[in-house]
Amino acid sequence: MALITVKDLSFTYPNSDKKALSDISLTIEKGEFITLMGATGSGKSTLLRLLKPELRQNGDISGEVLFNDRQTETLSPRESAEKIGYVAQNPEEQIVTDKVWHELAFTLENLGARRSDIARRVAETAAYFGISDRMERDTATLSGGEKQLLNLAAVMTADPELLLLDEPTAQLDPIAAARFIETVYRLNRETGVTVLICEHRAEELFAISDRVVILDDGQIKYDAAPRQVAAQIDINSPHEAFLPTAARIAHLVYQSSDAFGSLYQKAPNDIPLNIREGQRFIGQFANTVRVLDDESSAHPDAVALSLKNIHFRYERNSPDILRDLSLTVYGGEVFALLGANGAGKSTAAAVIAGLRKPYSGTVKLFDKPLKDYKNGSLYQNNLSLLPQDTESVFIRETVGEELKGCETIVESFPYDLRPLYSRHPYDISGGERQLAALCKALSTGPRLLIMDEPSKGLDNHAKTLLRDIILRLKSDGVTVLLITHDTEFAALCADRCALFAQGNIAAVDTTENFMSGNRFYTTAASRITRQRYDGAYTADRAARLIRLNGGAP
Amino acid sequence: MKRFEQLNPLAVAIYYLCVLIITMFSMNPLLLGIALVTSVISGILTGTAKLRTHLIFALVFLVAAVLNPLFVHKGVTVLFYLNDRPITLEATAYGLCAAAMLVAALYRLRELSKTLTSDKVLYLFGRISPKLALLLSMTIRYVSLLHIRWRKISDSQRALGLYDDGNLIDAVRGRARVLSILITWTLENGIITAESMESRGYGSGRRTSYAVYRVHTADIIFIIVCLLLTAATAVGVWQSQTAYYPALDMDLLTPWGSAGAAAFALLGVLPLIINAKEAIRWRLLLSKT
Repeated sequence: MALITVKDLSFTYPNSDKKALSDISLTIEKGEFITLMGATGSGKSTLLRLLKPELRQNGDISGEVLFNDRQTETLSPRESAEKIGYVAQNPEEQIVTDKVWHELAFTLENLGARRSDIARRVAETAAYFGISDRMERDTATLSGGEKQLLNLAAVMTADPELLLLDEPTAQLDPIAAARFIETVYRLNRETGVTVLICEHRAEELFAISDRVVILDDGQIKYDAAPRQVAAQIDINSPHEAFLPTAARIAHLVYQSSDAFGSLYQKAPNDIPLNIREGQRFIGQFANTVRVLDDESSAHPDAVALSLKNIHFRYERNSPDILRDLSLTVYGGEVFALLGANGAGKSTAAAVIAGLRKPYSGTVKLFDKPLKDYKNGSLYQNNLSLLPQDTESVFIRETVGEELKGCETIVESFPYDLRPLYSRHPYDISGGERQLAALCKALSTGPRLLIMDEPSKGLDNHAKTLLRDIILRLKSDGVTVLLITHDTEFAALCADRCALFAQGNIAAVDTTENFMSGNRFYTTAASRITRQRYDGAYTADRAARLIRLNGGAP
Repeated sequence: MKRFEQLNPLAVAIYYLCVLIITMFSMNPLLLGIALVTSVISGILTGTAKLRTHLIFALVFLVAAVLNPLFVHKGVTVLFYLNDRPITLEATAYGLCAAAMLVAALYRLRELSKTLTSDKVLYLFGRISPKLALLLSMTIRYVSLLHIRWRKISDSQRALGLYDDGNLIDAVRGRARVLSILITWTLENGIITAESMESRGYGSGRRTSYAVYRVHTADIIFIIVCLLLTAATAVGVWQSQTAYYPALDMDLLTPWGSAGAAAFALLGVLPLIINAKEAIRWRLLLSKT
């Protein structure tokens, strides 16, 4: 039985000539788990919002949306709150109250449930989500991943039939994101709740979804089982960004070689979707050549930044956040500091940027101790920090005013920001905002640029753009320090990587050795290939190695 | 039975209300003495006041006690002259009592603020109005959120070379800038919170207010005992005579007066008795197993 039926749905935003959605028809069965993908601006958020009456935006709608064979507009606010749960991208802003238990009770309070019912539902939900131990905590003290799980749990207390999730893991680190998706999957299997999730995380979602729907420019481009969609996507089209790594390797292997190509034609249903299937897939090829012999460029000699035995804590009685941290970054390299959220990476960035003073140890920037940079000279032509929350950067009404004085930088970017000049900095996409903030960070002409989680919340297209800019900065001689939890992004642009844990560096190596040396904290490509090849930490490198070996063993 | 701070917030609130009313509205020196002694003991035993607090409160006591005789010269018993001004016994006695009242109240208020945490206060207001309770809860959450954001903004502005606090004018300008960003950020993102509330049914009908506290028999017994002791103390105050000016005219130890004082002393240490009883019960339970 269909839970949601969308018929010939079109939608146009006010003051816009272009249809944000055109002629969408989609049926969602009860209990299905559907992943909705698409580039920024493809209309996936718009579609999701049209399914819940309170979230509908103003604009021209034609066509109809049925929920349980009823027009969704006729759902009362109470029915909508009970039957359709919604979790959005930003973990922080969705939380309403100050205590975890109160947040869990919030939905039921709104519905006017009796106290005894609320008590029971809150208790069982907390137990199911494993948050019983933090019921008394202030919501402000939770980590991003914990906050987002709380948001999900708070929605589930009303026992909805449909869960709408709008990029719920975009702001989370990979481990918290995987945990969130696992929880959603478990809910789907164990309670039968229907799930519609907008996400970029193909790696986890292709393997567990019943169907994958890909939107392109307001229209449905693909709507089929994940394996079929993965087989249909053209590797040379922009849609390849939605493929999981295993499928991308398979596509890359097959695309050019004739012999391989025919093999692929025979077996579209064998396209691998997850790590395990990927390993089985590459197992059919020879591995006489285990490693690509290419540029193993030695790092430059000049030291840009050095940290020696840094100790830092926030308060006198609190534990050390940085414990004996030592680190050297060479001039002109792109260095990635990787680690889970809450490990102290951002604190390290603040210490390097002179915003926090360590209680012992020295930080030297271009061979000069940080404290010798007087009168703000540190932040002029020397160092710049692009913060994690770009909201904290903007002050003016429009992007144009904001970027006054940055014209040459704007022109040098591969993405044109000028059409956005009349818009408010909050009204542009996350990727565009990241670029605008980067312009401001570069306007002081830094020789060392620190970027705190630059890829957070970005889709693959925006990530590629950001990578190009970083590589261009590198060729201009700027040293770039990436603080990130995104191993895939680090693999794309870093020369060297370090693993940050328990307040200091657990491992530091070239990106190639780092990614092949790690078992868990590494890229999907590296996990797929590590038993058979070395240093194949991206899908491209893996495919090149397979072709180099030239066929079956 | 539970420990005092585990009682229903309503019982805790009523207790402090009783103690504070008697402390602040009677000038009976006997009761004020008892109030001071019990509040200090309670502060020490419950650990709500540290050494620093004791020292500060002692200083407050001294200053308050000295001020009255220095400025008030009423009273018939002159002790000595200071700069040709008479320092009287009556004004000194009054000053001591007022200082005792002030410091006892300070100790109790401190205890109150440590015992009645934000969610307990919220529970009390929630009984009056669910809407008010939600408003308070959201306000408390926003205070910590704004604090965290303030710090993030000033950090990022500084590291972008846009914030300079070299001199006073720049520092003020920098703060204004941070405040402006803080307001924009919070208002713009407020819509997400509003959506989250609306999609979870806020405003769809009558709200209830959920709380993790319940009223047990122990709470009711405690409240009744509190009110009885307070009533007894009030009668004691009524039946004893306290006049400071023009001459001290006290009749404190009447039968009712003594009974009232005893009741108030008991009230002052009631939480300590409950906690001590609980501690003993635990010991006994442990020794049996």
